Amino acid sequence: MKRLLPLLLLLSITFAVNAQQKKKKPGGIASKPSQQSKFLEKQFWLGFKAGTNLSEASPIKRYTVTTPTNYAQALNDKVYDSFSKTGSQATLEATFYYKGFSFSVQPTYRHSRFAYSNKFQWSNPDNSAEQLILNYHQEQKVDYADFPLIVKYDILRNKIRPYVQAGVFYSLLINATKSVKISGTDFASGGTNQFANQAIIVGAKDLFDNYWGLMAGAGMDYNLGNVRVVLDVSYWKSMSNISNAANRFSNDRLAGIGDAQDDLDLNNIVISAGVLFPMRFLSNSFKTLDR
Amino acid sequence: MRLILIAFSVFIFIGCSNDSDPAADKASFTRIYDNNKYNASFYPIDIKQTPDGGYLILGGRRIDNSSFSGIYIMKVDEFGGFVSEQEVDETFVNPIAPLMVNGGNYYFFCMTSVGLQTQLFKLDAEGILSEPISVGGSYPAAAAADGNNFALLSYDNFNKQTVVSVVTPSGSITQSKGFSIGAGDAVEEPIINHFLRTGKQIPFLVGKVASGQYYFNGFYNYTLSLAFTNLNADEPQGIVQGQQDDGGLSQVIPLDGGKFALARFNFGDNYFLPNASLNTSGISSSTDLGGNPFPELIANASVKIIRVTINSKKVVLYGSDTKSKQIALLGYDESTGEFIGSKYLGFSNPFEISSIVSTTDGGLAICGTTYVAGRFPRICLFKLSEEAIVESFQ
Repeated sequence: MKRLLPLLLLLSITFAVNAQQKKKKPGGIASKPSQQSKFLEKQFWLGFKAGTNLSEASPIKRYTVTTPTNYAQALNDKVYDSFSKTGSQATLEATFYYKGFSFSVQPTYRHSRFAYSNKFQWSNPDNSAEQLILNYHQEQKVDYADFPLIVKYDILRNKIRPYVQAGVFYSLLINATKSVKISGTDFASGGTNQFANQAIIVGAKDLFDNYWGLMAGAGMDYNLGNVRVVLDVSYWKSMSNISNAANRFSNDRLAGIGDAQDDLDLNNIVISAGVLFPMRFLSNSFKTLDR
Repeated sequence: MRLILIAFSVFIFIGCSNDSDPAADKASFTRIYDNNKYNASFYPIDIKQTPDGGYLILGGRRIDNSSFSGIYIMKVDEFGGFVSEQEVDETFVNPIAPLMVNGGNYYFFCMTSVGLQTQLFKLDAEGILSEPISVGGSYPAAAAADGNNFALLSYDNFNKQTVVSVVTPSGSITQSKGFSIGAGDAVEEPIINHFLRTGKQIPFLVGKVASGQYYFNGFYNYTLSLAFTNLNADEPQGIVQGQQDDGGLSQVIPLDGGKFALARFNFGDNYFLPNASLNTSGISSSTDLGGNPFPELIANASVKIIRVTINSKKVVLYGSDTKSKQIALLGYDESTGEFIGSKYLGFSNPFEISSIVSTTDGGLAICGTTYVAGRFPRICLFKLSEEAIVESFQ
């Protein structure tokens, strides 16, 4: 069922566009606008954009393999980095513009990264030399196909056209990997032994799942001849768990070192730049966009 | 517009479908129970699921005042979450498997640290201990439920005998028979090293077969032997001899029709016999039993066997320790002995098996020891869902 969602989206936007077109049949208009103004009331745009994204994973519910029996669980809690890892994305944009509003589908391939770390410590109060500190740093790389349905509103309709946008998206998991770096300090080696093990890298697709979310942002179009250059920044907030609840303990390599996948929200700041091409009445003699 | 709203609703409906799933959280989890004391050492001995869905774990621990292991009891909830622990007074040592269920309570044998006298502890489903009952005898080595009573295998170091007893939940011995291990200290040495955990862990076993005979896997006549006894005759009726302490049976589970699921070891090698016949009324040798060799297992590996039903098929499930420090589960068709599947647990750090139990949801709970950071012995618990088991052993 989840796999049908993008198709549903595309169908719904298609119907929505058709509906808009049907309503736009010419009728008796009191003040007849010029042909050019009337023409500019609606337009189809097709283009692409690409850019970078920053990710923040926030735990909905924490899970752990390592379960303390004589100390507080909070001492082992994972500390998630916030918007510190850059990812990238590439987007195809199909937009229908009508009187300042745009309805846009923007299928996107997105690569996001986020990380967390936690710490474990064993000691002997009677012998300070008997102490071991382990630091785990875990980085997740997730690849998603995003299918957003976005509504934009152009604040100004000049050559530079700032806009605000909001929408809903569904993200299909494509791939995921996880790397774990273990470092530590061993005071029981006859000295202070600081060490860092080689990173363990595992496929982690089973640990993640599809999710949906809401997005909002702002951007700016710049009309350049018959094309439109676009720059936008948006905040994407997941509204469902990105983790696969059934598989959180399924990876023996990760469970063996005490890691279990939390239930997570994934939020992104997405920055993209690109170019859009008008699909309607495009001609050299008529500069459709210089307005 | 209506279609967009419908699409939006579908988004919400589907998007919410992967929210936290308590059923999945109960069905499958991995836990490592950590203590942050550098020199602490814990190992599990047995696990039982309690009526609340949680688990009661009987374990051993390193103690300062005795060469024997202390007693450790832990209660965890149905998600594997830690609930409580008890480090039982150090005057009681050497807890042995299994945790035996009787009348809604759980029982296990241990001994006193000084007099080495066998004790019977009772605890409830929350892990709350009652006062121990002195049973008499010494060095409890193995036990099993025997109807409303318990079968107990112990070592009488005064008379140099392997003793099989029937003990009531109130601690009374209703039947008992001793069998000589043979004269001389050399025979006793591996037994004492087993109890001190300084040497090879001897697979002491006791139980009862359908015919009413008791069996024990212990030292008899200088050799680790699987012996069958009616607890009346001075000599066992049937003996499967091992090779002193270098060979013999490492696990025995009676099946239907007089068959047995067996594991044996011989000078380090391990063999599984999922559908074997034993001579219960004569003398035979364990080396004549043959079996499937398992070079992937550690030398003289500890083996656990349980009977489970997977997809309406009776399966004999073996659990043991691999040289790669994983826990191996190997499944065989109970009626034919045919191999049907395997599953390996643990990675990165070493893992060793202690106990397997079926759970009420059709899954399995596997309890073992892991060495956190490669050095700290800690109790670990794998809960496998029914789906995972079917996938591995269908």
